[in-house]
Amino acid sequence: MAIILQLLFTGLGIGAVYALVALGFVLIYRATNVVNFAQGQFAMLGGYCMVITTVDLGLPYWLGIIISLVVMALFGAIFNLGVYYPLRHRSFLPVVISTIGASILITNLVLAIYGPEPTTLPGMTDYPGISFGAVFLDAQYLVIIATTLALVLLQYVFFEHTMIGKKMQAVSQDKEMASLLGINVTGMIMLTFTYSAVLGGIAGILVAPILFVSVGLGAQIALKAFAASIIGGFGDVPGAIVGGLLIGVAETLGAFYISVPYKDAFAFVLLFAFLLIRPQGIFGEKIAQKA
Amino acid sequence: MDKRAIGGAGGRVRGPRAGLKKRAWLGAIAALLIASPGIAPAWADDAAPIEIGMVTPLTGAAAESGRYAEWGAEMAVAEVNAAGGVLGRPLKLVIEDDQTTNPGVVSAFNRLANDSAIVAFLGSIRSTQVHAMDPDVRRIAKPVFFGGTDPNLTHAGDPWLFRCRPNDTYSAKVIASFGVQTLNLKKWALVTSTDAFGSSGARLLTAELQALGASVVTAQGYANQTPDFTPVVLAVKGSGAEVIGSYFTFEQDLAIFARQLRQLGVRSPWVGSPSITDTAALHLAGPALYGTYGVADFNADSSPEAKAYAEAYQKLHKAPADQFSAWTYDAIKIAALAMTTAKSTDPAAFRTAILAIRGYKGTEGTYDFDANGDGLHGYNVVQNKSGKLVFVKRVDFPAP
Repeated sequence: MAIILQLLFTGLGIGAVYALVALGFVLIYRATNVVNFAQGQFAMLGGYCMVITTVDLGLPYWLGIIISLVVMALFGAIFNLGVYYPLRHRSFLPVVISTIGASILITNLVLAIYGPEPTTLPGMTDYPGISFGAVFLDAQYLVIIATTLALVLLQYVFFEHTMIGKKMQAVSQDKEMASLLGINVTGMIMLTFTYSAVLGGIAGILVAPILFVSVGLGAQIALKAFAASIIGGFGDVPGAIVGGLLIGVAETLGAFYISVPYKDAFAFVLLFAFLLIRPQGIFGEKIAQKA
Repeated sequence: MDKRAIGGAGGRVRGPRAGLKKRAWLGAIAALLIASPGIAPAWADDAAPIEIGMVTPLTGAAAESGRYAEWGAEMAVAEVNAAGGVLGRPLKLVIEDDQTTNPGVVSAFNRLANDSAIVAFLGSIRSTQVHAMDPDVRRIAKPVFFGGTDPNLTHAGDPWLFRCRPNDTYSAKVIASFGVQTLNLKKWALVTSTDAFGSSGARLLTAELQALGASVVTAQGYANQTPDFTPVVLAVKGSGAEVIGSYFTFEQDLAIFARQLRQLGVRSPWVGSPSITDTAALHLAGPALYGTYGVADFNADSSPEAKAYAEAYQKLHKAPADQFSAWTYDAIKIAALAMTTAKSTDPAAFRTAILAIRGYKGTEGTYDFDANGDGLHGYNVVQNKSGKLVFVKRVDFPAP
């Protein structure tokens, strides 16, 4: 029993990180109908921002988080202007290729500036974690799960109970109609990129103390997050969360009870199974239903 | 893609230099100064440099170790040139980025192989990459020095591969004999990567343990770049193992495993392959590796040659030397020695001269090349004491 609880806890922790990055994929997809393959790099940048502010500059952790998130918000806006906006009237493929190009550029810029060495980032707390008998709850994983839950709640309130959230939803559902209703579509898309970059940054900040900060950090998470968003139902916010958690738990349990070397395969077996049996994902796809 | 040349007449540098930092610049400047007129030997006008190609990871998961490998080779080139070069000609290093991938290393090696002026190559420290290069190495038919430790690499009939690190037969022998005979621990948990290096290490270590009467109570293979080792740690914890033996390929994986192992309360002794002694692993894992043992092909206290190299490296790069730089340093020195002995860069004569090397004292140990192309036949055992690697003993086996 202790083993199962330990595996479930770790699986939910790592799954929560996939979920946060998947959420970024989904929000941008809903707003623009394109997949942003630089979403993982947003997480990597968040991690590096924290290293620069808290380790290199020695600023307090809380201040490092604030500065990092502001930097990520600005970066999201710049990313929108440089990568999406010039191609907004083009088809799906050029924009996707543009995001892939941007991800390569970001990775190599970080490599050139910060070098290839992985580096450590201390956790949010010096407290190592809580032990319940044979089960150890790593403090950083607890922070990750708590933050993800808080963000899901925050996001629900934002999208369902604020005017700006409703405008963003309107844009994601039908840009032309939203524009006819006087909503600033360009501004809403800009806001979506900004928010997605912040979400990616939060994922990077949360996971960096566990996986270390390196240029490969984003790629390590993004592939699973992408699979999570498809399993959840591409374009669906709760689906991204559930998909991320499902992948985290499936690969951790699968690794222990079936095979460690094939740990990565479990996520993708799950993906294939969904694509075959329920291609619309757990919660379906709202845009497809509208069409 | 990143291609550059270091050393040679006047130390000409060509090509972009991504990620160059202050320390690397200091290294390059030192090499330039050594090769400058008035300090270094004055080469004849027609003394075209002898080119040595090097594939190394400048990008990707192993980029950090690639930088160390580059620094070691650069130091050796600078020293050889300062001492008069080879056959009256300076050495020149031409580097290609292997991107830490098998396709990357094949592509990088072929780009270098197309340059007919290159007389020898430095390959990868990763066995899986040397396997990938092997068909092209046979086709090019020029000496290739490498650091991968899978024993099969020098036992598959390729006459052009020369290893400048001890192979895993020896690491497995030393890990097993130290754990069983010195620590007196018989029940082992093995944690190994599933790539060529880790699989080979697992197989050899299992055989050595069985030969010594010890048992493997659990064998856990993992895929590289794993973000979470909880299933592996729980399997080790539940196995009743007295000691852990490991073959990790990447330092990040090793550090994540070490942290989770300690977090979940596993305090068993641990004897690891050389990656447990890497500078990066010590930095990333920190206290989680305190008290562990490792076999290390390079240790500064293992010989006067190693000590002198470590001091020079520390002075130049402000970083401790490790095996990533030591083997490339030795490889360049051995290549220079063999060409000087052969009085030629002709591949056949060059190869014969490498195989004839006996008793050459390098930084990694004493080189006695056997007919398969293996230069070293032993390891150092070291212990991590509060982050510092303390030399325990050197174990050498006779060359076959």
